[in-house]
Amino acid sequence: MLGPGSARPQDAGQVTEAPDGAAEFYWSRLRYTSADGDTPRFGFGYGGFSPFSGWSRDYPKADRQFLQALARLTRIQMRSTEQVVDLDSDDIFNYPWIYAVQVANWTFTDAEAKRLREYLLKGGFLMVDDFHGTEDWERFMAGMRQVLPDRPVEDLPDSDEIFHVLFDLSHRMQIPGEQYVNTGRTYEKDGYVPKWRAIRDDKGRIIVAICHNMHLGDAWEWADMPEYPEAFASMAFRVGINYIIYGMTH
Amino acid sequence: MFELLFRYPPAVFLRGEFVLRSPWPKWLLLAVIAAAAAGLALPYLLRPRTHLRGVHLGVLWLLQSLTAAVLLILLWEPAIAVSELAPQANIVAVLVDDSRSMALTEGGETRERRVLDALQGVLRQLRRGFQVRLYGFDAAPHRVGSLTELGTAQGAATHIGASLARLDEQTAGLPVGAVILASDGGDNAGTVDHAVIDALRQRRIPVHTVGVGALQVEHDVELEDVALDSRVLAGSRVTASLAITQRGFAGRRTAVAVRAGGRVMATHPILLGADGQLQREELVFDLAAAGPATLQFTVDPLPGEANRGNNTLTRLLDVEAGPRRILYVEGEPRWEYKFIRRALDDDQALQLVSMLRVSENKIYRQGVKDASELADGFPQRPEELFAYDGLIIGSVDAGYFSPAQQALMREFVDRRGGGLLLLGGRRSLADGVWGGSQLAQLLPVVLPPGEGTFHREHATVSLTPAGELSPITRLLDDPAANVARWRTLPYLMDYQDPGTPKPGATVLAQMQAGGRTLPLLITQDYGRGRTAVLATGGTWRWQMSLPLGDTTHARFWQQLLRALAGPTRGRVIAAVSAATLLDDGHVQLSAEVRDVDYLPAADAQVSVHVIGPGGAQAMLDMLAVPGTPGQYQARWTAQLPGVYVAEVRARRGGAAADSDVVSFQRLDGVAENFHTGQNRELLSALAAATGGRYWNVDDLGGLPAAIPYSNAGVSVQQLKDLWNLPAVFIVLLLLRLGEWLLRRRWGAV
Repeated sequence: MLGPGSARPQDAGQVTEAPDGAAEFYWSRLRYTSADGDTPRFGFGYGGFSPFSGWSRDYPKADRQFLQALARLTRIQMRSTEQVVDLDSDDIFNYPWIYAVQVANWTFTDAEAKRLREYLLKGGFLMVDDFHGTEDWERFMAGMRQVLPDRPVEDLPDSDEIFHVLFDLSHRMQIPGEQYVNTGRTYEKDGYVPKWRAIRDDKGRIIVAICHNMHLGDAWEWADMPEYPEAFASMAFRVGINYIIYGMTH
Repeated sequence: MFELLFRYPPAVFLRGEFVLRSPWPKWLLLAVIAAAAAGLALPYLLRPRTHLRGVHLGVLWLLQSLTAAVLLILLWEPAIAVSELAPQANIVAVLVDDSRSMALTEGGETRERRVLDALQGVLRQLRRGFQVRLYGFDAAPHRVGSLTELGTAQGAATHIGASLARLDEQTAGLPVGAVILASDGGDNAGTVDHAVIDALRQRRIPVHTVGVGALQVEHDVELEDVALDSRVLAGSRVTASLAITQRGFAGRRTAVAVRAGGRVMATHPILLGADGQLQREELVFDLAAAGPATLQFTVDPLPGEANRGNNTLTRLLDVEAGPRRILYVEGEPRWEYKFIRRALDDDQALQLVSMLRVSENKIYRQGVKDASELADGFPQRPEELFAYDGLIIGSVDAGYFSPAQQALMREFVDRRGGGLLLLGGRRSLADGVWGGSQLAQLLPVVLPPGEGTFHREHATVSLTPAGELSPITRLLDDPAANVARWRTLPYLMDYQDPGTPKPGATVLAQMQAGGRTLPLLITQDYGRGRTAVLATGGTWRWQMSLPLGDTTHARFWQQLLRALAGPTRGRVIAAVSAATLLDDGHVQLSAEVRDVDYLPAADAQVSVHVIGPGGAQAMLDMLAVPGTPGQYQARWTAQLPGVYVAEVRARRGGAAADSDVVSFQRLDGVAENFHTGQNRELLSALAAATGGRYWNVDDLGGLPAAIPYSNAGVSVQQLKDLWNLPAVFIVLLLLRLGEWLLRRRWGAV
């Protein structure tokens, strides 16, 4: 499928940010206010706060390891470190792709919900991950209904374009969190079946990609852990990469 | 008065030739005059001690010599030789303009009525010496028995030249001594054909023109012209340039409007400028539906306007459904790619086919017709690439394309007539080493040497003077608001130094970045196509930063890509000599036919199918134009007013036919309402070219006397003596009287 002619050698490695860190793509992690009152602000050291709470779950190791894979496997020019974005500022509009975890705990003020709605309808893309079971789903949807009250959530078929923009991902498995290493369980809570879901805009484009009953972030974070199965890590990388490519093309 | 002094009418002196009837030679006259002058000088020379100064003596000598010269000339029997129509042997044709413009009322009566009243006496005198034939005319002359049969002023068009040509044909072999043509000069063609004048001059028929009508209409607004593209894509934003003149309404406010099918498409208030000054106004409107669009442009009439028929002009526009297909090659996933695709979502006339290098081993295609399109990467054969109308190159090295592909891209612009747009990016322009590519010649800029021209830094934008006028950069209808809008657009995420614009290129927008002002959007025509550079990959921020629902980003990209690919035509390009035919249905249909490689096709079978009003149809073969391969022509006449659609089909060998559609309209009776001031210039030129004279309708006293002196028809040579002119005796008297008075003054008497 490659066209004729030759690409430059430096095109292979893509973490080619400018000296000031400017890049085309920034891995943007959404920082939000948690329902349990956990509102950590940036400035903690890595692991300086509970790894099981709120927006910063798996942060920043998962982000950086994922960026390494993204750089190796695509031609996207990106920054090697993550970018934390907030909904209390219009700066979020400079980052058209955002990643959010533990979204069962998110809450929005009306202004934040409005900003996120406008962000998505203007062309932004949101990927959510790491929430499990029925109760988490209901709490996630409570926040989502604040943002997009009338848009249906649908299960994505294997044939959906998002599973084929780069890697063909017709056959996916449930991606477990780190707990798999100790328990052998791929699920958490009552989230036995992985749900690949989405919300679309008026043109049928996915604007919110929902990874429910799975934990891609952990798979990225523990990809270098010998005990964590390579198959889960590989699938998690590929799903994440496909979601980014989709978000940059649709 | 003139004839009292000179005995004969002015025409005798204008048309006659001065002769000396005496058998004595002319040199002798000169010699005798010289001798007389010398003899008259002798007394002054021989009596130098007179008290008069030299200058005084000289003046007295001159007056005496002139007196002697006049007397001597009279001895040689001066006369005028002039041709004079033989009495009762010649025809005088009188043509009276009977077109609609002659119905204009000035001073309480119509122009035609003024002419008819003025001609009553003239005709009475002419009938004493000639056979008078009376005609009314508009597009052609029609003979009438008397002036009372005229006065309707209903003719839909005025063709002075055609009417004179028809008169010339009808009176061939008849002794026409002169033509009197009474008109306001409001000719549809605005001129009289040289062939007609030559024919009249061969017969030596003088045309005396009688002008009627004010040279300038006092209270009138006229829509002189409407300029706009003849062909656009459906859904395009069209800018029409209106030229307006007015008299008597300076400083008044009115409005211009455009209507299609009775529906108002757009209006625009205007403030009328100075009297007689050409004023240009712009009207911007959207055209959604495909097909021929008949647009009616109107300046709202003001109370007291003398003529409201010249406030409206009609234009016909071919609105193409499209879609135009644009191939976008992007070398890396980036936001600009996504947002360009989204910007064209709602544009049915543009179809973006894209190939994006997402990884080293995958090109992701979007917008393809089927799985085979671009399956082998960038096209390698002309018929593959030439299937597109536009080409966008994103952040891709020139080296990604083989030399053959680069040559193909050059031919895509030059020969195919496609549009090429290069975007800024880290592998674009100079950083993509495009300066050394085969496309460097096509680009509207000379790229800077070396790399490092792309910067991920913010850049603010503004329009250049050229951009203020361009439909590409027209985000708001109001020009001033549009300029302000550009200044307040969110900053671009990145910018690239595109180098120096080439002579002939147009910079539409510029950016301020890094303390410098750099060209942002540069365009130029190249060969049959167009090229453009947009030196950024960061316009996507407009979409994300402007409020939800703001269409600025989409509109900019739709307009830019429509300008890029909209003018790209197929293998057959149909055209007409004029999209609007005024009172004359003659039209020349032409077609440019190209083969599959877009080389001129000289061996095509080309036909045109014309469908007109009332179900009128015609099928014509178009003939190859000798010496111009690929060009075909046919002539046809639209008999009825209305809109005509012509479909040109070209076939070569067994290949499927290519076709193109062009439309035109015939409008009758519209031109008559325009330029209603008397065209004295045309009437004077016609008279001067044929040996006649221009007459004002209010001063026709001398016209009957001027008619006989013509060498057309049956004429005889007459000699008119000049020795007995009262003017001669008055001159002699004045010379002598002048000498006496001067002598008295100088004390010499």
